[in-house]
Amino acid sequence: MGKSSRRSTATSSTTPSITPSARSAFFNSKSTPSPSVSEQKSARTSLINVLSRPRPTSAVSHLFAVSNEGFSPFDDDFDLSDQSTISSYASSISSTRHPSAEDVAQLYKDYLDKPFVNIKSTFKHSEFGHDNNPNWRWTSQWNPDEPIHPMVEIQPPYYVLLTTYISYLMFIVLGHIRDFFGKRFVPAHYAHLMSHNGYAALNSDFDSFYTRRLKKRIDDIFSRPVTGVAGRSIVVYDRYSNDEQDTFQYTGGKTRALNVSSYNYLGFASSSGGCADAVEVAIKRYGISSAGFRLDASTLDLHQQTEKLVARFVGAEAAMVISQGFATNSTTIPALVGKGCLVISDELNHASIRFGVRLSGASIRMFKHNDMKSLEKLLRECISQGQPRTHRPWKKILIIVEGLYSMEGSLVNLPQLIELRRRYKFYLYVDEAHSIGAIGPNGRGVCDYFGIDSREVDVLMGTFTKSFGAAGGYIAGSKELIDRLRVRSHAMCYAESMSPAVLTQIIASMGSIMGIAPPLASPAEEESDSVSIVSRHAVYGPAPASSLPTWLTLPTTLLNGTEGRERLRRLAFNSRYLSSGLRKLGFIVYGHRDSPIIPLLVFSPGKMPYFSQMMLKRIGVEKTPIVVVVVAYPATPLISSRVRFCLSASHTKNDIDMLLRACDEIADVLDLRYGKQTMTVDEVIASAEELVAANF
Amino acid sequence: MSSTAPTEIPTPLIPLLSLLSSAFLTLQSLFHRIPGSPIIVRYIKSSYQDDPYRSLLEVLLLAFAVRTLLQRRTGGEAEGKSFIKLTAKEIDELVDDWQPVALVEEPNELDAMILPTVPTIYGPNGIKVKTSPTGKSLLNMVTPNWTGLVENERLKQVAVETLHSYGVGTCGPAGFYGYIDVHMDFEQELANFIGTESSITYAQGFAAVSSCIPAFAKRGDIIVADRGCNFAIQKGLQISRSTIRWFAHGDMADLEKVLQSVERDLKRKGGKLTKKFIVAEGIFENDGMLLDLPKVMELKKKFKYRLMLDETYSIGMVGAHGKGLTEYYGVPAAEVDMIFGSMASSFGTGGGFCAGSSVVCSHQRINSSASVFSASLPALLTTTSSTALSILLTTPTLFTTLQSNVLTFRAQLSKLEAVPSVPPTSSPRPSLPVLPSSASSTESIPIGAQTPNKDAIIQIPSHPSSALMYIFLLNPPSTVEEEEALLQDVVDEVQTNGSILITRARRLRGQETFEPEPSLKVCVSAAMGKKDVEKAGQALRAALVKFCSSE
Repeated sequence: MGKSSRRSTATSSTTPSITPSARSAFFNSKSTPSPSVSEQKSARTSLINVLSRPRPTSAVSHLFAVSNEGFSPFDDDFDLSDQSTISSYASSISSTRHPSAEDVAQLYKDYLDKPFVNIKSTFKHSEFGHDNNPNWRWTSQWNPDEPIHPMVEIQPPYYVLLTTYISYLMFIVLGHIRDFFGKRFVPAHYAHLMSHNGYAALNSDFDSFYTRRLKKRIDDIFSRPVTGVAGRSIVVYDRYSNDEQDTFQYTGGKTRALNVSSYNYLGFASSSGGCADAVEVAIKRYGISSAGFRLDASTLDLHQQTEKLVARFVGAEAAMVISQGFATNSTTIPALVGKGCLVISDELNHASIRFGVRLSGASIRMFKHNDMKSLEKLLRECISQGQPRTHRPWKKILIIVEGLYSMEGSLVNLPQLIELRRRYKFYLYVDEAHSIGAIGPNGRGVCDYFGIDSREVDVLMGTFTKSFGAAGGYIAGSKELIDRLRVRSHAMCYAESMSPAVLTQIIASMGSIMGIAPPLASPAEEESDSVSIVSRHAVYGPAPASSLPTWLTLPTTLLNGTEGRERLRRLAFNSRYLSSGLRKLGFIVYGHRDSPIIPLLVFSPGKMPYFSQMMLKRIGVEKTPIVVVVVAYPATPLISSRVRFCLSASHTKNDIDMLLRACDEIADVLDLRYGKQTMTVDEVIASAEELVAANF
Repeated sequence: MSSTAPTEIPTPLIPLLSLLSSAFLTLQSLFHRIPGSPIIVRYIKSSYQDDPYRSLLEVLLLAFAVRTLLQRRTGGEAEGKSFIKLTAKEIDELVDDWQPVALVEEPNELDAMILPTVPTIYGPNGIKVKTSPTGKSLLNMVTPNWTGLVENERLKQVAVETLHSYGVGTCGPAGFYGYIDVHMDFEQELANFIGTESSITYAQGFAAVSSCIPAFAKRGDIIVADRGCNFAIQKGLQISRSTIRWFAHGDMADLEKVLQSVERDLKRKGGKLTKKFIVAEGIFENDGMLLDLPKVMELKKKFKYRLMLDETYSIGMVGAHGKGLTEYYGVPAAEVDMIFGSMASSFGTGGGFCAGSSVVCSHQRINSSASVFSASLPALLTTTSSTALSILLTTPTLFTTLQSNVLTFRAQLSKLEAVPSVPPTSSPRPSLPVLPSSASSTESIPIGAQTPNKDAIIQIPSHPSSALMYIFLLNPPSTVEEEEALLQDVVDEVQTNGSILITRARRLRGQETFEPEPSLKVCVSAAMGKKDVEKAGQALRAALVKFCSSE
């Protein structure tokens, strides 16, 4: 059994150990076994588990083995093994194995007296949590038994819908009453809404009503200023408002909180480590700007190296990079389609896509979100009817979908789309802004996830903002396509080129996900893994060493792909765990369980500020503050306001446990369990691995 | 007339009627059993008595509501007039027959000329660059690097420091914990620098401009724009769906004429007061001309327009401290409603911005797509921009050096120009080289006739203080293809013989609102030595004479 305690190849040399909480978790799960779960698990073991977890016989024996061998009560690093916590006091508590009540009280007092304010974290793992339990890993891969997109969405009880509508109605009525009196008694506040001196109002009274009268009431939960790295934790500025959120005053204090809001899927947003060091070298070598337009004289060798690596990463012939993610869509789509072309777009596509399509002058039709039947019907209609009025055939039809929808957490039904593509001869444009790096066994996005050759997709688009901790976006496809776009895309001709610092961050993070061949040193204890980089699918193999700039050096764990793979598998576990856990707790959660974006439905607008504030102001022992994103209309349909969690490989299982507990507490206060609760939070935490492995 | 006629019922209908009446009675009794039904009946009765039209309206409303509810959200034109009903088989056949054109068409001659002529810079970009790993270094006169900030060591140092506190990416839009303290600080510093109340940063200059305009200008609003405006503005105008009126490039008299005609139109139509904007550039990206800002301000105030001024090139280039056109003319920046700009071209870093009143800026934080739906600017590009501001403020000599370099360069070319002494402001010019229609009139320039220059082969519409210059041929070959090829010869010649990197102006032919004429683009920097600039001017002159003067 000694084998099983082999270290996670991640970063630290700490002895793997099992924490008391995890042990109790194990006992809980043993006392309440779930037959259906274990049955399904065994079926799945044969397929994917082999790839995803190095467990010798079963979770049970493994846990015992680890706990017997590795659990060393006097190990100083014990607390760091898999529950490096964020806030100062919590971390100190867990390092004291048997804290007395006074200790806790003192630590807590210290914490309250001196909240953590330092930008430069003196604590370990504030940007990237260390988690070396090899069982808390998963491989993000399509399981044909699970539906890609639920046919029927779970609906909340009718009273929830009714009260939600009523609260909006009340907001609107109250807003109009306030506007009515406000305009008469305090016209100064409305100056910008009324025409004056012959100038029409800059903002229309009507257009800004929602912003002024609904969003403003809860403005303190939006756009909170932060500082430091948006990593596992983030430092939020404390602020308050004395004038109904017109302006905010800063107390000068800052709160370090668990960050489940940033798109830091693989945890590459960091101020230190291999990638940051590489960027530092690049800044010293190249400066910070490549100044000017790509087509003039701002194409650096670094741009070309990045583009080659990106193409390799996504499995396409060629790629080009653009300095902003939004602009990647909005300046490329007009270069692809124009008058006489038809764009068929998912109704929930991102604003940048709509921006680009509007610029292109092509006709646009929309289909119901992820509904392939509706799409096929629309395709048949559009092809058979041709262009409106003239009935001339369309020049070409471009279908634009997203790989992973940022507000829904739903994955595109790519297998069916590819089938439709063969029949209906349209061109397919997949926006992988969120899925690239976050989805798929090799992190190569939805094509990798579904096991589809990425050359089946005509245009692959993605961004570097999310998984790679950089900025900007890319377009990848055939060489012919990219060469054409280089001279037709607005951004290539008229927008600034990407900064060398950003390019290097992309190369370093992408290279470490892919692994660089030949590895300079053999990875530590690589034999534990059945998915070593050598055995990966040829398309998604390691990048040749020549694809890195010669001056760029990366630490061995990044270079051989170990780190990248671990991050992918941690992210996959975290996502599936939280998504499943929240469902079991009785929340309505949208999206696919493999999605790192997990929207939790709140519905009633009045509950949004409370949810956000209660998460941030969790005061109590072991209650680390959490920052969450709440989204409401117009980003979502009017009634389905939601809280959106974005998980990261930098989160540990402990962080997810904490998040589940926090949600569980808040659910009781705010009445958020719109679905059926089938497990208690302790049961969920105890059976994390079973939940992740189970199909449902 | 029979007396029994009104009551007579045909015998076959009697059972049917009795069935109907019994059914009606059953329904009635059922209805009465519903609690509250008498109230409804009373209400309908009384409302019918009081106002039968209201009842009718209510029924219609109900029918409309039901129809709306049943209508498909994404259905579209399926029920349209031109919709032809087809059988499944017919549709299958049509689907089989349909052949789309290729996703990308073959490049035409002009487009095919672009990629092979794009240089690759090996190593850092800056004043001296290499276009091959081992080649000689060339003087880079292509990239906007007015004050040499691109290679500034202090900026690099600040960038490294920021990197080790903030990382590279912000991993989210400003609304979702992507609004870092350094953004806040920079926005205030930038506003102070330019002289506005507030400012907002974007992750890209191009996107800032094309997304700011539609954040304010909506359908039904009026935009009066300069015909020479850059591509980002054109796209912003297109998205806004406003009514767009163009005025001749840099022609203030024409602007006034257009403003008057808009006013006349509005008076004639009456109706609600709409938002009206004038859109122009400080230094025009397409030809380097300078806007006559005082005149625009005068007209804007007279006709009650708001001014959107794109200072992407003028900030960091003109004015005693590089504060842009407002400083150049001494116009208070706060009077310009929106100032767009780019940190990439102005400060040698990256990103874009919009400066204006706090109302203008906070509106964009929620309503400008490129701000709401895009990750915020990386911290290290923000802090370095802050540093760049302080460098510009403390080193005004940069701008005197820049101006003298520009003059040195222009002096070398003046012998070839049709109008050697360009007036200090861009006075209305009869010829507008940016526009194709004006190309033919180039030969008959009255100004050119006043100062005859037999050797004239080029025209530089760029303002004498503009470090961004465009060189247009006075007697271009008959086709655009030939002209571009000729210009490329000039570019190659100065590169091989003078070790100077210049470029043809890159255009998106086929996508521009007004197709610009081919030209050469030259950027001068304060970081260039006077000798180098002089030599560059000579080399370019020699190349121009060599290729363009032989008719």
